[in-house]
Formats: sequence, C-alpha cells, structure tokens
Amino acid sequence: MLEKFRVLGARLRGLFSGRSSDREFEAEVREHIELLAERYIGQGMTPEEANATARRQFGNTTLVHEHRRELRTFLAPTVLWRDGIYILRRLSHAPVFALAAILSIGLGIGANATIFSMISKFVLRTAPVTDPERLLAIHLTHDGERCCNSFSWPVYQDVREQSKSFTAIAAYHDLFPASIGGSGSPERVWGQATTANFFDVAQAQMTFGRGFLASEERAPVVVLSYGLWHRRFSGDPNILGKAISLSGHPFTVIGITPPGFHGLDLLLMPEFWVPVDQLDVLQPTPQDRTHRDWHWIQGVGRLAPGVTRQQAADELAVLAQRLAKTYPSTDKGQGFYLDRAGSLPARDRSVILLFLTVLSVVVLLVLGIAGANVANLLLAQAIGRQKEMSVRLALGATRLRLLRQLLMESLLLALTGGAFGVLLSVAATHGLNAFHLPIPVPLDVALEVDWRVLLYSFLLSTVAGLLFGAIPAWVATRPLVINALKGEDALARPGRRWSLRSILIVGQISMSVVLLSATGLFLRSLEHAASINVGFRTEGLLMMSIDPQVHRYSAEQTVQFLSQLQEQVAAIPGVLSATWTDQFPLSGSHRSDGFSVPGRKMKYDESANVELYMATENYFETLGLNRLSGRDFGRENPDGQKVAIVNQSFVEKFFPQENPLGQIVSGGDVNYQIIGVVQNSKARSLDESPRPVLYRALNQTVSSNPSGLGYSLVVHLAGNREEIAKAIRHDINSRDPNMAIYNMETIEEHLRSALFLPRFTATLFGTFGLVGLTLAAVGLYGVMNYTVSRRTREIGIRMAMGAPSRTVQHMVVRQGMILTLIALAIGFPVAFVTAKFANSFLYGVRPHDLVTFMAVPLFLALVAFLACWLPSRRAAKVNPQTVLRYE
Amino acid sequence: MDAKKSEVLQGTLDLMIMKTLHALGPLHGFGIARRIEQISEDTLQLNEGTVYTSLLRLQQQGWIASEWGTSENNRKAKYYSITKRGLKQLAIETENWERISGVIGRVLKLESES
Repeated sequence: MLEKFRVLGARLRGLFSGRSSDREFEAEVREHIELLAERYIGQGMTPEEANATARRQFGNTTLVHEHRRELRTFLAPTVLWRDGIYILRRLSHAPVFALAAILSIGLGIGANATIFSMISKFVLRTAPVTDPERLLAIHLTHDGERCCNSFSWPVYQDVREQSKSFTAIAAYHDLFPASIGGSGSPERVWGQATTANFFDVAQAQMTFGRGFLASEERAPVVVLSYGLWHRRFSGDPNILGKAISLSGHPFTVIGITPPGFHGLDLLLMPEFWVPVDQLDVLQPTPQDRTHRDWHWIQGVGRLAPGVTRQQAADELAVLAQRLAKTYPSTDKGQGFYLDRAGSLPARDRSVILLFLTVLSVVVLLVLGIAGANVANLLLAQAIGRQKEMSVRLALGATRLRLLRQLLMESLLLALTGGAFGVLLSVAATHGLNAFHLPIPVPLDVALEVDWRVLLYSFLLSTVAGLLFGAIPAWVATRPLVINALKGEDALARPGRRWSLRSILIVGQISMSVVLLSATGLFLRSLEHAASINVGFRTEGLLMMSIDPQVHRYSAEQTVQFLSQLQEQVAAIPGVLSATWTDQFPLSGSHRSDGFSVPGRKMKYDESANVELYMATENYFETLGLNRLSGRDFGRENPDGQKVAIVNQSFVEKFFPQENPLGQIVSGGDVNYQIIGVVQNSKARSLDESPRPVLYRALNQTVSSNPSGLGYSLVVHLAGNREEIAKAIRHDINSRDPNMAIYNMETIEEHLRSALFLPRFTATLFGTFGLVGLTLAAVGLYGVMNYTVSRRTREIGIRMAMGAPSRTVQHMVVRQGMILTLIALAIGFPVAFVTAKFANSFLYGVRPHDLVTFMAVPLFLALVAFLACWLPSRRAAKVNPQTVLRYE
Repeated sequence: MDAKKSEVLQGTLDLMIMKTLHALGPLHGFGIARRIEQISEDTLQLNEGTVYTSLLRLQQQGWIASEWGTSENNRKAKYYSITKRGLKQLAIETENWERISGVIGRVLKLESES
C-alpha cells in the first residue's frame, strides 16, 4: 500500500526531472551497448558484427525508452502535448475531414444547447432570492385535486397564525395593471399587491432602499423593479423617498429590487409592488376581503430552520382538517399543497415537461446522426491510415497508446465542434426570443445561454467525442498487420457484405427522412395557416388600447370618453373609420357565455356557447365585415333594451329557419334584441370552425360587464401610419395626460402573433430537418470521397482495361444511391406512421399529406445524388498510369 | 540440462535483480545483466534493455537506490544498491516464491505418481 504512495511521489518528482534524466538514461544505455560490443570484439567478432549482436542482445532501445517514459511520470503534460501537436498537424493536412467533423458535431451540439437553454430556464433556474430551497409556494387544493387555487384572505390569516412550520408566510395578489408616470408618456405596467412581510419572506437583496415595514400595510408606498427604475426613472439614485404616480395616485418609492428579480413566480413579470391594502385604490373592483370563499391571493412561506418540507406538509394537512371542521360550509374538502417557489406552475408542469422531454429526445437524435457522421468519417480515415498503424504496431507501440491518440483526436474535434455549436445556439436563442406570444400579459420567456448550458455543452461534447471515437479507434487499431503492410484493405473481414460504414449511412439517411417529413408537414401547415381567410381586413388597420377603469373612470365617464375620442379620431385626415371594442379577435383572451332563446327549450350542448365582443358604431365597416341584414349600432340608450348584432353562425344555430331580426336571445342573465346579422369571421383561433358570435353595444355593456383588460381603438386608415398614430396619441393625451396607451400594433403584426404556434413549430422542425439533412449529406459526401480515394488503384485498373470514365462514375454513384434507396425504403414507412402524432399541431393539413410525402423522398434523393456525384468526378479524373505506378 | 531458452516474466526479473544486488552489493546495469546471465547458465533469454525498466520500477517503489560512480575501466556509470526496505521486500518475496514452488512441486509429483 505504502509503495503506491511512494511510486506516486516518484512520478510527481519525475514531472520535473525531465530532459536531464532522459539524457542520463540515454548515456547509460549507450554505455551498456558499448560494453556488450567490446565483449563480442574480445570474442573475435568484427566491430560491425559486434555492434549488431550487441544491439540485438540489448533489445529494442526505442521500446525501452518509451516504457521508461511511461513509467517515469504522468502522461499528462509532455506526452499529451506532443500527441496534441501531432494531431493538429495531421488534421491540417485533411481540412475537409476536420471541417466536416466539426460542422457535424457543431450542429448536433448547437441543437442540444438550444433546447437545454429552455430546460435551464424553465426547470432548473431558482428564484433570485436567498436560500431558494426553503421558500415554498402554498396552494389550496379542492377535494384532493392537485392544483391550484388561490387563497382567500381569512384562510390565509388562519394559516399564518396557526402554522408553526414557517418563520413567516406572505400573500400577494399576483398581477394587476396600472398606469405609471415618470419620463415619457404614461406606460401600462403590471405589478403585485403584497402583505408587508413579502420582502422579508423573499429575502431579496435590495439594490436600494428596503421592502415594506410591518406598519406599512396600508401606506401608499411602492417598490420598483430594477428594470422599471432604469426605464422610466433613468436609474436615478435619488428616487428613494420621492413620490411617483400610479394610475394617477401618488406613491412614495421606498425600494428598488435587485436586477433580475421579478416576483416569486417563474413566468410572470411584475414590475412594481404595493401593500395589499392599496389594491382597492388601484383596482376599481373591490375585493371582498372578508369572504372565506373569495379566492384571490397567492401564498408563499419560508420554512423555519430545522423544519423539513414533509413536516410542513403534514402540519398543514392537520390544519386543513381543523379548518374543515370549523368552517364546514366553505372549507370542506380543502387541502394544502406545497411547491418550491419559482418552479413551473403545477397545473401545466406535466405538459411542459413532456414537451421539453420530446424536444430533448429529438435533438439527441440529431446529435446521434451527427455522431454517426463523425464515426463514419473517422472509420473512413482509419482505412487510409492502416499502413501507418500497422507499422507502428509492428515497431512495438502499444495498442493502448494508439487508442489514446485516436480518442484524443476525436475528443479534440468534438470539443471544437461543441464550441461552434454553442455559438450556433446563441444565434438560435436570439431567433427564438423574437417570437411574440399572443398573450395580453407580459411573460418572461426570454432564453439565454447561461453557465448551465455551457457546462452541459462541454460535457455532451466530451461524451460524444469519446463515444463516437471509441468504435473507430477500436477497429482501427486492430488491423491484420500482414495484409496492411501489403497495402490491402486490412479492415475488410472476409465474408462480411455490409460494413459498419454502410449501416451508419443508411441509419442516418433514414432518420433524415423522418425529420424532413416532419419539416415538410409543419411548413405546409404554416403555409396553410398563413393563408387562412380570417374574415376581417388584413391590412390598413391600426389598433391601440387604453384602460380608463384603472384611472377610476365611472361607466358613464368611460362611455363619454370613448365616444368623444371616436369622433375626434375619425376626423383625422387619413382615417377612413374608427371604432371601439373590448378585445380584437385572435388576441389570446376571450369572453363567452351560454346562450338560449327564452321560451324555447334547447338541449344544452357545448355549441350553445357564444363568443362575445363589445362594439361601437362603425365596427363592421372598420373591420371590413359585410352586413347581411339589419343595421349597425347607433347611439344606443344605456338604460334601454340591450341590442346585439350576431354573425351568420349564430343565426344557423339559433334561428335556422326564421328571420332573426327583432328576436330576443338571453345569455349571462341579459336579454339582447337582435338588430343585425354580419358575416362569419375568426374569433378565438385561426384554425377554428365557424362559431356563433354576438356583438353587443359597448355603451350598454360598460356599466354591467366592463372589460377587465381595457378597450381597443381600431382605426382603418389610408395614409401615413406614423403621423396618424401620433395624432391619435395626441388626441388621447390631450384629454387625459395620465392615460397609458398600450398594445399598439398593426393588423399585420397582430396576425403574425396569432400565427405563433404554427410559426414556432415550423421553425423548430424546419431547423432540425435541415440540420439532419445537412449532416446526412455531408456524411454521405465524406464517405464517398474517401471510398474513391481508397479505390483509386482499382479504378485505375478498370480504366486501364478500357472502361470509359463515365462507367467509373456510374459505379461510384450507383454504390451511393443503392444505400440511399435502402434508407428511403426504411425511413419512409417510419415517417408515415409517426406522422399521425403531429395531427393536433397541424393547421388544415392532413398528417398523411400527399405533397409532403412525395416531395421529401425526391428532395432527399436529389441531395444524395449530388453528394455521390461530386466525388465520382474525382474518380473519373484518375489517371491510370500514375495510379498503377503508385506503390 | 536442456539448453532451453524461455522468456522471463517481469516480476521474476525484479526479484532476481534484488537478489543479485543483495548478494553482490552495488552493481551497474551491465554488471547486473552479466550476473543474471551467469547464474542462469544461459537458460534465460533476456533482452537486456528490460533490466532498465525493472530498475526504474524498483527505484520508484523505494526498494533500490541509485548513485553515479566510476566503473572498473574508469567510465562513468550508475550504480544500484538494495535498500533496507528492499531487503524486507526481498525476504517476503523469497518466502512467497518458495511456498508456491513447493506447492507446484508437490502437485507435479502427485501427477507423475498416478
């Protein structure tokens, strides 16, 4: 045992003795051989004979030196360095090979790094607070279902008082909008209202100032996010103690959060925090605090020291039972569920994890194709180096040494490829971040290449390099020495028809068929989705939204404000018509209700659900929807009979055989009289089939059923858009300088967002398909190239025997195309069958789309042909005379 | 005795070198090779270079030590000698070897009897 340490020590010392020790040893060896030679001379041999015999008796000096070097010290510095230089030199002599390998690995690693950045962000990242593991989100459950309800205020108080497992429990209303002052015109921002102990529980390191004090639960104070502070207040350090305007009310700034802090939820992006009692001031709809059944706040708690999560869960379970007994009418069946704060919302977690898993598997397959490429290239290269390997083996090199060198080579290529792949993933994440989600609330979904992604890429590259280099290295160091020295193909084992290379290539091309089929399907889906007729105008429309409710406008004030603005805007030169609505169609939010015809029995089924939109005069003219009968909205009396205009689908559903005009329908406890019918148009999503829509007069609806997300002005214009937009903003701001204007976009931009899912999937699968194809093509080209160079002698013989160069070319191409056709035959059925799974993501395209499944194999065959044809031209250029002379 | 040439395993070479140094005192590499050749009466076919590999290993394990000196014909040479630790190791290895060869001897005798 002790010897092991001594040996270790000796080898460590050997690191430093280096060259002098080597020279000494050389001298020793020389001496020894001289002495031997002298002995033989004394026995009567000639000096030459004596020297030769002495050397023979001594044995292989090179081997002795190498063994000694291996023993003397660790291989790390000197030997690996020398190996490294040697490998680099060799690679620079074969740049095509090196580039192909680096490109392949780069594409594979790049795809993996991009998907891993999603995993890093949504699964692995922790909230930017102290000790995130001890911070738990507390959810209410009902009747044992997993998730995920908010607390009511009384229940929160009970838990806060009675639970001992937490040092503190805070509550917050997770997101509501407000209009903020500061530099520039008022901006709409979203924030949270929290209990005073929120920042104590979170334990975030404030950049400036502090969180709320216990006494401040009612005070008009606000904490700003770092980003908001920079954006609206120029990062002014003197902002502490100053008052800013939130929806017209003054709030004193008492703290700035650390950069990157945006609450304790993973995806939400609140930018300001106020004490919970200020919610009544900022949000007009009063929260019924005292009611045990009104759920509106989220709970979060910090575990007390020494308490485990399981202990806390158990205590809460007991507490739940106690509450159920005390308040049987509201708390029966209630339970508590604990989760790490800042993780994926439990309700959606399984879906998101499934999606990420599928993506990970797909990109690992891409890496597999890439790796098979590199393995193939290495194998092809090994054929060319057989002579060298055999000679080295015969001279006494250990197989281990050769293996180590070959593995080093593949590792070096893989790491370089990995670095290239990381660069690719940076570009890819930028591209993905440009996608705009069709959701009215701001979310934090920006991807970035962080240290986790870098580490993962490094590890993956290493594993890939070792894995894909191992088999070629193993095979390459085992050639039949005699055959190799004769110049024959030592890697050919007699009796084996299908070489490893061919199998790899066929596998790659088959996978590419599957990937490309998916690409084709999603591209067609995108093409189809982009050409769907939405019904309303697709150009010349400008939209922007305001939310008077946030500024405490009453219903009458709102109606007056909107109608006056509509008149004013319609008078702007270049504006053809203007109107107000609550939400423009395809906005990611929707309102609907069940409708019936009073006095008639209708069997209740899902399709009795009707989409609801509010509208003022000129709505249909502005949006370009044709009126089929009846009239438009006018100045409807807010207190009179509520009127509505319906679409054709509605008529078909409720009044299939009769004239709908004048009829009364009822929904959401309100009776509407139908005054007009318009054509169908898309409401919720692009790929929906026509659904019933009811438009109600905005003037009549604001008081009883106001919009929670503000109102949108829609303008049909024909002129300079920027100027008109500026004029509209001026009109709004001159009437109320505090009113924030948000969500300004053209109809083209709006439709682009609506196309998010088809665009996203088409981009992802398009990229992977293209990557897979590039890899397979590069691989095929590389292998054919080396095959040609290996078979130059055979080709030379054929040509010398009279074969025209065309025949030789055909031979090469045919060989490659046979492999391709076999791969197509394997991959096509697989692609056909797996296409079924894509059905729910496709827009108007059947999974067994004829165009896709005809175009993809043809396209692939064309690319494969090109990959075979180019090397074949090299074959044709072979000069028989030079080749046959080569030995 | 048959002039059989057999190849020598590395471990046994270590043992022989230590024994040689123990019996004859400090020697240089050439001397060690000669002594082994002499003792084995040419039975052992030895690539003399392998002696040096053994010497390095034994040195690393601390069983022999080396020193530069002058040889008989006034040339510079490296002399190897066995250390105290080496002596202990030699005793252990010798005992092992004798035990094993005894067992094998008995086994072989057994076979020839039956």
